[in-house]
Amino acid sequence: MLQLLKIEWLKVKNYKAFWIFTILYLVAILGINYTGFYTNSLTVQNLPASQIVLGSPYSFPKVWQTVGFMSSWLLYFPGILFIMLLTNEFNFKTHRQNIIDGWERKEFIDVKFVFALLFSLIATLFNFLVALLFGLITTGSHFSFEGIENVGYIFIQTTAYIMFAMFLAILLRKSGAAIAVFFLYGLIFEWLLTVLINFKLNLEPVGYFLPLQVTDVMLPIPFGTKVIYKNASDTWILTIAGIIYILGYYFFALKKFTKDDL
Amino acid sequence: MPILTVENLSKFYGPVHALKNVSFSVPEGTVFGILGPNGSGKTTTLGTITDILKPTSGSYRLFDEPASAASRRRIGSLLETPNFYHYLSGKKNLEIAAAIKQHGKEDIDRVLETVDLTQRKNSKFSTYSLGMKQRLAIASCLLGNPNVLIFDEPTNGLDPVGIAEIRELMKELHHQGKTIIMASHLLDEVEKVCTHVAILKNGELITSGKVNEILSGEDIIEVAASDNKKLFEILLKMNAGIKVIDESPAIKIFFPPGKADLAVVNSYCFNNGIILNHLMLKRKSLEARFFELTNN
Repeated sequence: MLQLLKIEWLKVKNYKAFWIFTILYLVAILGINYTGFYTNSLTVQNLPASQIVLGSPYSFPKVWQTVGFMSSWLLYFPGILFIMLLTNEFNFKTHRQNIIDGWERKEFIDVKFVFALLFSLIATLFNFLVALLFGLITTGSHFSFEGIENVGYIFIQTTAYIMFAMFLAILLRKSGAAIAVFFLYGLIFEWLLTVLINFKLNLEPVGYFLPLQVTDVMLPIPFGTKVIYKNASDTWILTIAGIIYILGYYFFALKKFTKDDL
Repeated sequence: MPILTVENLSKFYGPVHALKNVSFSVPEGTVFGILGPNGSGKTTTLGTITDILKPTSGSYRLFDEPASAASRRRIGSLLETPNFYHYLSGKKNLEIAAAIKQHGKEDIDRVLETVDLTQRKNSKFSTYSLGMKQRLAIASCLLGNPNVLIFDEPTNGLDPVGIAEIRELMKELHHQGKTIIMASHLLDEVEKVCTHVAILKNGELITSGKVNEILSGEDIIEVAASDNKKLFEILLKMNAGIKVIDESPAIKIFFPPGKADLAVVNSYCFNNGIILNHLMLKRKSLEARFFELTNN
C-alpha cells in the first residue's frame, strides 16, 4: 500500500488544484470558526441575555462539537476536490493506463480510498487544532477532553462526505454532473427528503439516516439542545450507519471498477 | 513458448458483436500484426489482453500463464491514445508509469532520448503536439526494456519522418529478439514491419500466419502475341499454373507464389510456333490480396 500511496502522491504533488483546494479548505475551517467565535462574542457583548440561549459554544467542552458543526458546511470543498481527482483519471484515460501498466483494478480503487481516508484524517487533525485554539483563547474556558468524541464524529463525517463524492464521480464519470448532483442533493434534496420522510410520512427518525444527513445529525448545532433533531437516534447508532455508508461506497466502487469495461 | 494465446474470445458491446470467437497465438520473437479496417475489433482484442475490457466469453494467456497484473508489468503497452496526466511534465508522467511497472527512475532519460523528447521532457504534457504525445507513449512502453511490446496504431499522428523513425525502432526491437504485437489498419505498415499477421474483419478472424504466406498473392505471367486467340488455345493445352484468362491485348497465367517461370513459358510458346511480343511477371498487389481476403 505504501508503494501505491507513493504513486498517488506523484499524481497530486504537482497538481495545482489539489493544493489550492486543500489550502483554501484548511484556511476556511479556521475562517468559518473565527467568524462563529467573533459573532458569538459580539452577540454576548451587546446582548448579555443571549448567553442563556447560546451557552458558550467556543468553551471546553462544547468547542469540539461547535467546530465540527461549523466546519461541516465546508465539506463540499474536499468533496469537489476528490470528484476532480477521480474524473481527471477518466478524462485523461489514465485509469486505463494505470491498469495497462500493471496495477490490479482493485489497487486503483484501494489507493484512492486510502488516500481519501488519510486526507480526512489530516482535516480532522486540523479541526482538532482549531478547536483547541478557540477553546484556549475563550476567557474562562479550561482545557478538557470531555466531548472529545466529537472529533471522532468529525472524522466520520469528513470521510462520509468525501467518499459520497467519490461514489458520485465513479457513478457519473463526468466532473460537471458529479459536482452538480453532489451540491443539489446535499444542500437541497436531502433536506427535502428528510423533512418528507420524517414529518410528512411520520417516519421519524428514518429521515435522519440519509447518507449525508446521518453524519450531520451526529454534530448538531451546538445550542438549543435537541430542538432540531429532537427524535434522532442515539449517536452510536448514527455512527454505525455512517460507517456502513462509507463501506458501501467503497464496495460499490470496487465492484463497478473491477467488473466493468474501463 | 507462445507469448500470447487467445482462445475463442467473444465480446459484445450491448447488441454489437465486436469480437466473434477469435483465436490465435503469438510466437516469441515475432512482430505480430493485427490487421483490419476500422471497427474490425483490433483495439477490442488488445483492450481485452491488457485487462481494460472484460471479454463476454473466451480466455487468453500471457507468457503461457493465466494473465495477471504481474504479466502486464512485463509488457510495454500503448493502446488507442496516449493516456497521460495533462498537468504533469513528460518526465513526471514517466515516473508514474515506471513506478507502476515497479522500476526505478534510471531508465527514463534513456527512453526519452530514444524517442527524441529529451529537450521537452520538462514541458507539461498538455503542451505537446499530437506526434510528441505519441512518442511519449512509445517511450513509456520502452521503460524497463520489456521483452514484449503492444502497440495500437503506433504511427498514428506522426509525420513521415516520425513514422520512419518508429518503424526503424520496431525493426531494431525485433532484432533484439523482442516480441511486438501491433494493431494497424495500414497494410503497408504491416507488410514493412511484421513477420506474422492476423486479419480481422467485423470481429471475425479471417486468417492468421506468416506475412509472406498470407499476404503474398499469386504470381501472374502476362503474355501477348500477334494472334492472341491461338496463343490462348496453346496455353490452355500447356496446363501450367492455376488458370489462364484472356484479357486481350494480354493473356494472364496465374501461378502459386514463386512457381512462375518466364523461360518455361517462353520456350513452350516458341516450340509451338508462337513468337511472344510481350512477356512479363507481375505480382498481385497486397491491397488486392487484402481486399480479396476481407471481402469474403
